[in-house]
Amino acid sequence: MDSPPDLADEFRNWLELPRDVTASILLRLDAIEILTSAQMVCSPWRKLCKDPSMWRTVHIRNPHSHWAISDLEKMCRQAVDRSCGQLVDIYIEYFGDDELLRHIADSSNQLKRLRLVSVYDVSDEGLREMAAKHPLLEELDISFCSLSEKTLKAVGRRCPHLKSFKYNEKGYRYPHVECNGLALTIAKNMPELRHLQLFGDKLTNDGLQAILDGCPHLESLDLRQCFNVNLAGDLGRRCAQQIKHLRLPHDSTDDYEFGGELDGYGSSDFEDGYLSGYSDVDCLSEPCGYYDFPGYDPINDEFTNYDFIFNYGDFNDDGFY
Amino acid sequence: MSSTLCCSFAKNVTLRSSDGQTFEVEEAAAQVSQTIKRMIEDGCTGSVIPVPNLTGPVLALVIEYFKKHSPPSDGCPTALLEMEIKDWDAKFVAVDNDTLLDLTLAAHYLEIQGLLDLTCHRVADILNDNSVEKIREIFHIKNDFTPEEEAEERSKIQWAFE
Repeated sequence: MDSPPDLADEFRNWLELPRDVTASILLRLDAIEILTSAQMVCSPWRKLCKDPSMWRTVHIRNPHSHWAISDLEKMCRQAVDRSCGQLVDIYIEYFGDDELLRHIADSSNQLKRLRLVSVYDVSDEGLREMAAKHPLLEELDISFCSLSEKTLKAVGRRCPHLKSFKYNEKGYRYPHVECNGLALTIAKNMPELRHLQLFGDKLTNDGLQAILDGCPHLESLDLRQCFNVNLAGDLGRRCAQQIKHLRLPHDSTDDYEFGGELDGYGSSDFEDGYLSGYSDVDCLSEPCGYYDFPGYDPINDEFTNYDFIFNYGDFNDDGFY
Repeated sequence: MSSTLCCSFAKNVTLRSSDGQTFEVEEAAAQVSQTIKRMIEDGCTGSVIPVPNLTGPVLALVIEYFKKHSPPSDGCPTALLEMEIKDWDAKFVAVDNDTLLDLTLAAHYLEIQGLLDLTCHRVADILNDNSVEKIREIFHIKNDFTPEEEAEERSKIQWAFE
């Protein structure tokens, strides 16, 4: 209806591409593009877009906030439903909650890769439930989510094949906070890890030592913006020997996939922003949250002028950030 | 001495397109195609290897790709060389849509995975950048939905058009 008769016949016909090749092209589109555009082009493409094999991997990112959260959730459910249980790899960003996570968990028989980036509404219970239903999970990314060490311990125990774990945060130097809780939880409960990314974590050399001891198969380790780690001595040598791909605290963040999350305050340029008289915090165990900073009075909100300090992590009741 | 001589002369093969054009190309370069590689290994090539699915102009283009992607005779490719090849690849598929279709089909028939990835990626980029109507126009795909079917499909994802 949009072309005069015969127009299509004068040109090469893209529908002559073998099905596998067309599938290979469409598989390069993200779920949003397929659902809102590609499947509407013609009936052969629509048929292909409904094939469960097209939905083993579902990536729904919303970097420019173009879509409403409710639309993204609808699309995610459609995509997951179309996989007919074949979903292996799911990546959602900036939307989703426990209910959606439960739908994903119940709709797949074989989830291997779960990435929930900046999914602030997923709770500890939600992730634990997911881990219980998918013990064969091999990769987990919960960057910028707020989940407790207790939950990560449960995930590690429930998913003994976990090979890749990412829990990135925004790196910052001040206030000076040390916290090995996450590192120790990983070291004790995720012994099969090959890849670990802890961008901006507050671990110290003790935490790193525990990770090297507890995860002997580790091949890649990203410690960028983990400013409490000092690799000048023996520990640095051990890291270099044990880890094939090591990213150091001060390494370039140019190729960091969440580069947009960086504010620049993690760099040494922020030296001038250090607050005199503001005690360093040594947080060795839970909780280590917002209200645990010494001298902070939530009623009078003494640090009003320094609100920016607390924008780098979403502290929750568990004190985990 | 004899081995040096042997290595200094690359062995060539001749490829013949569907319209009878012949092209001489180094054997090592032609083996970028898994299909041609198998034919050479099986020794069933004779003096000329027929490539019946490709016309002369398309085969000429594919041979350009072969030459750029043939394994370097001296050691591993350097990072600089890899970057240069990447730039070259991007320009190679910045072609009109009919040629893009021909190259995609050629990569499929001749099992040239690198070229197939390149062309599929290029097509996907075009799909990403355009509306449904524009995609139909660019790729000359006829809208074969009845108005009822189209309305029904759109109603299922109404949120995308609100």
